[in-house]
Amino acid sequence: MSQVQLDSELPKERISAGKNLHLKKFKEDCKRFIYTQKIGFVSLLIILIVVAVAIIAPIIAPFDPISQDRAAFLAAPSADHIMGTDDLGRDVFSRLVYGSRISLLVGIATVVISIFLGTMIGMISGYFGGIVDMIIQRIMDAIMSIPALILALFIAALLGPAIQNVIIALVIIEVPRFARIVRGEMLRIRESNYVEASRSVGAGSFRIILKHGLPNMMAPIIVMASLAFGQTIIAEASLSFLGIGTPPPNPSWGLMLSDASRYMESAPWLVLFPGLALSILVLAFNLFGDALRDFLDPKMS
Amino acid sequence: MIEYIVRRLIFGIFVLFIMTTFIFIIMRAVPGDVVTLQLANSGASAEQMEALKVEMGLDKSVLGQLVDWGTNAIQGDLGKSLWSGHQVSQIILERLPVTIQLAIMSIILAIIIGIPIGVISAVKQNTFIDHFLKVISIGGLSIPNFWLGLILLTVLSLALNWIPPLGYQSFAENPIVNLQQMFLPAICLAITLSASIVRMTRSAVLEVLHSEFIRTVRAKGAKEGIVIFKHALRNSLVSVITLIGLQVGYLLGGTVVLESIFALPGLGSLIFESVLVRDYPIVQSTVLVFGAMFLLVNLIVDVMYGWVDPRIRAK
Repeated sequence: MSQVQLDSELPKERISAGKNLHLKKFKEDCKRFIYTQKIGFVSLLIILIVVAVAIIAPIIAPFDPISQDRAAFLAAPSADHIMGTDDLGRDVFSRLVYGSRISLLVGIATVVISIFLGTMIGMISGYFGGIVDMIIQRIMDAIMSIPALILALFIAALLGPAIQNVIIALVIIEVPRFARIVRGEMLRIRESNYVEASRSVGAGSFRIILKHGLPNMMAPIIVMASLAFGQTIIAEASLSFLGIGTPPPNPSWGLMLSDASRYMESAPWLVLFPGLALSILVLAFNLFGDALRDFLDPKMS
Repeated sequence: MIEYIVRRLIFGIFVLFIMTTFIFIIMRAVPGDVVTLQLANSGASAEQMEALKVEMGLDKSVLGQLVDWGTNAIQGDLGKSLWSGHQVSQIILERLPVTIQLAIMSIILAIIIGIPIGVISAVKQNTFIDHFLKVISIGGLSIPNFWLGLILLTVLSLALNWIPPLGYQSFAENPIVNLQQMFLPAICLAITLSASIVRMTRSAVLEVLHSEFIRTVRAKGAKEGIVIFKHALRNSLVSVITLIGLQVGYLLGGTVVLESIFALPGLGSLIFESVLVRDYPIVQSTVLVFGAMFLLVNLIVDVMYGWVDPRIRAK
């Protein structure tokens, strides 16, 4: 009886204040991040700039990234083509701008799918333990004992060059890594007092996993995701460089480097720009991930 | 200790077994097979293709092929290449030294670069130098190693008019040519590897520097150089060794791209060439060798712990 009264007596402003409190805390966290993690904040800005470039690529790019201009092949950087043209007369700057879409697409798709699958597998493994855990973990061990790039190369080469195949290959590499982290967190959380408490009031396994498991492992997953982004983008470029990733004529940065490697002496600028773009984007993700780790888990730094 | 090693080896063989099954099934589940590739332009009849399949043992079920290959592999027979007909074990033994040499040279170079920078970062903790070195080392981690390879080749050929000698020669044949060919790919791999060594050395040295025994060492009036190099660095080696064990996977993966840029006939380029033409026995065996190397290095690393740090040995 008193419980019902308490609920009904709770003024509406208090409830909305609770929501505002979340928002306020988030704002404060952001401020604290900007203040304490300056390098991380700059990296976040760089990432956002690249995302913006990818979205408005048609506005920024002066030329079509695929149309060829045989009259102006291997042209050095000039006012017309600020990063020169490649062996088929395509504008390098325009290709670079559109190429950011491929890197980000592969990165986002791989990381999102891997987090989803890895979290599911890791939670099942960590929550149930025993024989289920044993079988899942040995399969994950087996996948992780093959060097990542070699496994990706194996799968991508078998499936043939296509963006979705690159994503499949990279997901297979990343899933065990997320699963292992989530499993570890799950084992830790399973033993904690609050899970014990919710079990004692009769909460089911599914409810415990969703309500207590997930929110408590967001920090390590977010950090891992940021670092996985960088690795995934490099892996996509490596596969495309070897000719088994993104198929031509798509402007993938790895593919551009592969074309450029044939003209290293006559057109060295072709080697320079795609690699620079790749390095800066990956560096931004790595520095951002590093800053997030320091921010979310001060014990680790 | 012996019991521990034996247990780990059994566990390793179990993992390798699952891995081989995994690779085996994927390779045959994917469309496109070696028979179609080999007879693509010869206008061979369906019977001829069937006959070739029987000859290669590909007419059996996937499980049957796996059992066949597995029983032979345990007896040391990895089969023959479906294209050249050479013994797979022979091909792998020819190529293995290239990859191992590349990996070892990279690790040595990475240690030479990484440890001093890590120590400097730790000693200058939270100063401008520390932040600068942090960005540099994460930068090293972010540069794709194949791009580094291309840049080095471009700069050397344009500025010095020098490119590594073509045609691979082993160290035994011609040490000077061999080192000229191996140095560039090794340094590309080493730069990425050294970045993580820097981070690890820094945090390990910092941890030791804040421990009580270092306070004692300082209290007895030891010089700062001795404090850092004799005590702090030595006690942080365990974490650096662990890291190298963890990075072996990256290292072996990196060899694929670099071997292809620098035209080195190693295991990485072997698996790349073979998977494209669906040479099943070579791909399976090479993946097995890569997996075995990875597990073996990690076992050696775990055994080395005890050797480096007597406290772990006691447990």
